[in-house]
Amino acid sequence: MTGRYLVRRLLQVPPAVIGILVIAFLLIHLAPGDPILALAGDNGDAAYYAEMQAKFGLDRSLPEQLGIFIANLLRFDLGLSYVQGRPAMAVVLERIPSTLLLTGSAVVFATVTGVALGVVAAAGAHGRRDLAINIGTLGLHATPSFWLGQLAILTLGLWVGWFPVSGMTDPRSSATGLALALDVGRHLLLPMLVLAATEIAVIARLTRSGILDELSRDYVRTARAKGLSEARVLSRHALRCALLPVVTVIGGRVGHLLAGAVLVEAVFGWPGVGRLLLSSVQARDIPIVLAVLLLIGSMVIIANVLTDLLYVRLDPRIRYT
Amino acid sequence: MRRFPIIASLLVLVASACSPSAPPSPSTSASAPSAPSASQAPSGGGGGTLVVAIGSDPGHLNPAITTSGGTHTASELLYNGLVGLDDELAPIPELAESWEIQDDGVQYTFKLRDGVVWHDGTPFTSADVKFTFEEVLLKLHSRTRASVGPALAGIDTPDERTVVFRFKQPYAPLLQQLDVTEAPIIPKHLYEGSDPAENPVNQAPVGTGPFAFVSYAPDSEIRLKRNDAYWADGLPLLDEVVMRVIPEIGTQIVALEKGEVDWVWGVPGPDESRLDQDPDIELLRTDRNPGGSNCIMTMSFNLEKPILQDLRVRQAIAQAIDRQPFVDNILFGQGRVAEAPISSGIAWAHATGLAMPAFDSTAAAASLEEAGWVAGGDGTRTASGVEGVDDGTQLTLDFLHFPAFSRYGELLRTQLAAVGIDLTLEPLDPPVFAETVFTKRDFDTNIISYCNGPDPEIGVRRMFDSRQIGPVPFSNAAAYSDPAVDALFDEAQQTVDLTARGEIYRKIQETVVAAQPYVWMVETSGVRAYRSPCTGFQAYAQFAQAATCAP
Repeated sequence: MTGRYLVRRLLQVPPAVIGILVIAFLLIHLAPGDPILALAGDNGDAAYYAEMQAKFGLDRSLPEQLGIFIANLLRFDLGLSYVQGRPAMAVVLERIPSTLLLTGSAVVFATVTGVALGVVAAAGAHGRRDLAINIGTLGLHATPSFWLGQLAILTLGLWVGWFPVSGMTDPRSSATGLALALDVGRHLLLPMLVLAATEIAVIARLTRSGILDELSRDYVRTARAKGLSEARVLSRHALRCALLPVVTVIGGRVGHLLAGAVLVEAVFGWPGVGRLLLSSVQARDIPIVLAVLLLIGSMVIIANVLTDLLYVRLDPRIRYT
Repeated sequence: MRRFPIIASLLVLVASACSPSAPPSPSTSASAPSAPSASQAPSGGGGGTLVVAIGSDPGHLNPAITTSGGTHTASELLYNGLVGLDDELAPIPELAESWEIQDDGVQYTFKLRDGVVWHDGTPFTSADVKFTFEEVLLKLHSRTRASVGPALAGIDTPDERTVVFRFKQPYAPLLQQLDVTEAPIIPKHLYEGSDPAENPVNQAPVGTGPFAFVSYAPDSEIRLKRNDAYWADGLPLLDEVVMRVIPEIGTQIVALEKGEVDWVWGVPGPDESRLDQDPDIELLRTDRNPGGSNCIMTMSFNLEKPILQDLRVRQAIAQAIDRQPFVDNILFGQGRVAEAPISSGIAWAHATGLAMPAFDSTAAAASLEEAGWVAGGDGTRTASGVEGVDDGTQLTLDFLHFPAFSRYGELLRTQLAAVGIDLTLEPLDPPVFAETVFTKRDFDTNIISYCNGPDPEIGVRRMFDSRQIGPVPFSNAAAYSDPAVDALFDEAQQTVDLTARGEIYRKIQETVVAAQPYVWMVETSGVRAYRSPCTGFQAYAQFAQAATCAP
């Protein structure tokens, strides 16, 4: 059952991605800003700009350009980056690992911390701990990540001096193996915390309210009547059901997380896809922008499919047909 | 299934979206980094590692195919020009050890340095110079293509050590256009027969410069090592240079204060005094920047707009602007009020004692009244008998600027409001700005940082030459056109004697100041900062050639 559902969902991915790309293609071409003017710099002569436009096919009409783009897309060819002269897809793919490391660890950390905080808050609902967690998460939720990032750099990076503030490795170290992994970990911590901050808040608040909801239900009363300990009621029953919406939200927030990574990567000099997207939009490097959107679009869609599948695992009542 | 632990299932979700412990940084690697050797002979080396913060990923490391400041900042240490430029912008030998100017500047003959080798060991010859110019610079380096290209008749290489540039007419500015910024020389043996813009060598470059390429991890870092075979005796001193890409300037400064990096290219005005007091940090002031040197923040008037065709209105606006507050409050002292259309950084061409309009808002208001812009009760001005403008039209001008220049806009808006001019600020992203101003020409006024470069032919002429009105970015924004000025620029280009050439530029400056197509506001300067014990820097180009970080 689930297998057929999965195949159907996966078959929907290519048209969805192509749709995203065509819309993005039109948006970026209709938006003001000439890529050649961004690329060529100043003091050129008019013939130079004309040559560059012809080289990248930007002198053709928009429908013609769109036709060429779709034809190439079907051959998995997104063209050469205007700035780097290399295949756009290759440029983007080499940034994927660092972004996955950052966003992946942020998701794990935010989930574990957020769920834990939510449980703690729900267990002592309306008490002092609950209030403190509520205020804290509300604050985190309301804080923009670029500001939080700069604040973290100033306090934890500069004043306390615990963490490095930029890049992924120590430029003066030639470490390899485990030492390199530890070095990367040390550099990862601060941007990961900043990126996770908003997610922690969302997850904690959702978990708390979900558990409180569940605790008022009949099956919880039955569980308690059976004589189960309160901890067991919480963890085995209420939390399990309360996590269903949390999983949906985490799956749905992959896009948010990648958007947050654009800012966090810029602030911390983290060499990921987000920064590539930012600089490519500024330079109107259209092939790169479209390649990034292709990947991000696919990741968001895949994350949603995975969320659906996880649902079945978490809730035996759900069956896809 | 029912026992499936929740947290573990969440981890599965995460793990499926996250490749197992990702490698730290993808990199193109040419060779393994050399181990820093602290005890090298006095013939150079032993200077340790210099970590440089750069603001953007260069994308590639070939400065011959682009004028992008990001690429040049990251790659100039790898290459040389035929000449370098000293602090006074005079040419000094680099790949060429001597040169001769013949026939009043129609022909230049360069003797190349003996024994120079590319980082891969291949000997450098005159064929590399000819190839670089003909196949790369004159096609892809927009500035060199636009200026040297039309004047050049041909390049000859009578032998391996001699290069001859022949021009159609005398060509004066050549020596200022041969440094590593305007004309870096790249290896023919690696680029011949390829599209230089797409050659993979651009990602793992080979040059003749003081440092050789080790690795490039995009958006992360570029590692260079000492070129042991460098032609300059005893140089470089540093064993290794690491360029770290840190886009946020605030993060760059914190990284410098923490010692994560040793050098930053630009210190924001508000941070300057704090860094100045830090005993471990030294500051270096300069008019030269990787993106261009001798820059003047310049307000352009669109002379195609009827309101701005009246000289009295343009002069009134110039008079209404008090320029010192721009130096004090926006640049925090990193610059000075402009005294001429040509930067004081090109001392021989910069005119002094010009009749630039002084700040006088009363006189400005009077000129506007005289021009038919009558002040109403609320201070705003409306047209009354202005040619080409309907009576009752309000004196409102749009002002286009990069988002980074918004504070100029705000201060200008306040100052012009005092004389009844309503300035509407329009922040635009650079590519949109270029398109709106130079292609669509849809603006009243704007502000541009016009960088004069090392010679007026490079960065000044474009602002005034009537042949440079059009779709080329950062050319003649005002659409100023005066055949006499065009002729003077031609004459200056062909006059090799510097004093005589300076006189011609003086005439040009007097003419354009009287015509006021622009308001030359402030000359901007840059402040570099570096950490001790590093020392021995230059402000530009081969900035780290003679530097050392050994205590």
